[in-house]
Amino acid sequence: MENVATHEDWKVCFSELAPGLVLFARQWVRSPADAEDVVQDAFVRFWRRNLSIKNRALLHAAVRSAALDLIRRDNRRARREVEVFGEAERSVQPQFEQLDDSQRQLVAALDHLPRDQREVLVMKIWNELTFAEIAEALGVSQNTAASRYRYGLAALKKTFQPQ
Amino acid sequence: MNEELENELKKLRPVRPSAELISRVERALADAGETGAKIIRPERFRVNWLGLGLAAAATFLILARVDFRPTEKTKQTNVSATPSLQQKAAALPNYQATGLTQVVYSKRDEGLVFPRGAEGPSRRVRTAKRETFRWRDRQSGAQLAVSYPTEEVTLIPVSGQ
Repeated sequence: MENVATHEDWKVCFSELAPGLVLFARQWVRSPADAEDVVQDAFVRFWRRNLSIKNRALLHAAVRSAALDLIRRDNRRARREVEVFGEAERSVQPQFEQLDDSQRQLVAALDHLPRDQREVLVMKIWNELTFAEIAEALGVSQNTAASRYRYGLAALKKTFQPQ
Repeated sequence: MNEELENELKKLRPVRPSAELISRVERALADAGETGAKIIRPERFRVNWLGLGLAAAATFLILARVDFRPTEKTKQTNVSATPSLQQKAAALPNYQATGLTQVVYSKRDEGLVFPRGAEGPSRRVRTAKRETFRWRDRQSGAQLAVSYPTEEVTLIPVSGQ
């Protein structure tokens, strides 16, 4: 796919997608600063590869890959991540704006989801990817992506009751 | 129930990233745009028909063993007219190498490439130079210089930052 978007298009695209991408990256890295570094690295790399601006699946795959690279590069960080994921299978609590008590409860429930379910939820809800795009980004089938989404919602329902 | 839960989730708004990130990315796009440092993907290489033609011609010449060496007759003429470098050096045993100059007149960064077998990307830099060798006759002080253009391609490994 040739990249026919202008420089301005890319800037607009980034400012629109950045919140969701940073939230997506924060599943793997501990600090917001690291997440922003990961997103910057992935987005610039994606742009340099002359890919279509609309190929969000590949953009998310690039962010995921950059986050995992960052973890691998820093052994101490990797050990820490392994310890964190090993203990409770959870990542850093995603950051959302202005949470009330009910929403805080929901975020906490989301934070306790298994990683594979949570990443599908993050991609679907806050990045508005289709199951086909999620499947492409994660290298799984569409059915698997949809199942993880359903299981994720089901698990959330067990721990969260909307008020 | 799923819809209700999805709506609750959608109400959560991710925090906006820092303004610094936005400006960093804009700067990175602008910088990379100016230097043209786009990654060259191997599958995007286009067929160079001129190169292909030259390669085919060279193969043909090798296979056909076309001999472009001068005939005995022309050789004799050449010898009498302009002696070759070896002949000149042989005729002038007193010549001593006095120096080598390399003048870089063009250095072009061709962007990032992914060499086969390499762990990461490398930056390909093409350098065009002119090399000049000089000799000097010990007895007469006469000088001899040979100058020719060269081209060098360097792959510099880069980190993923």
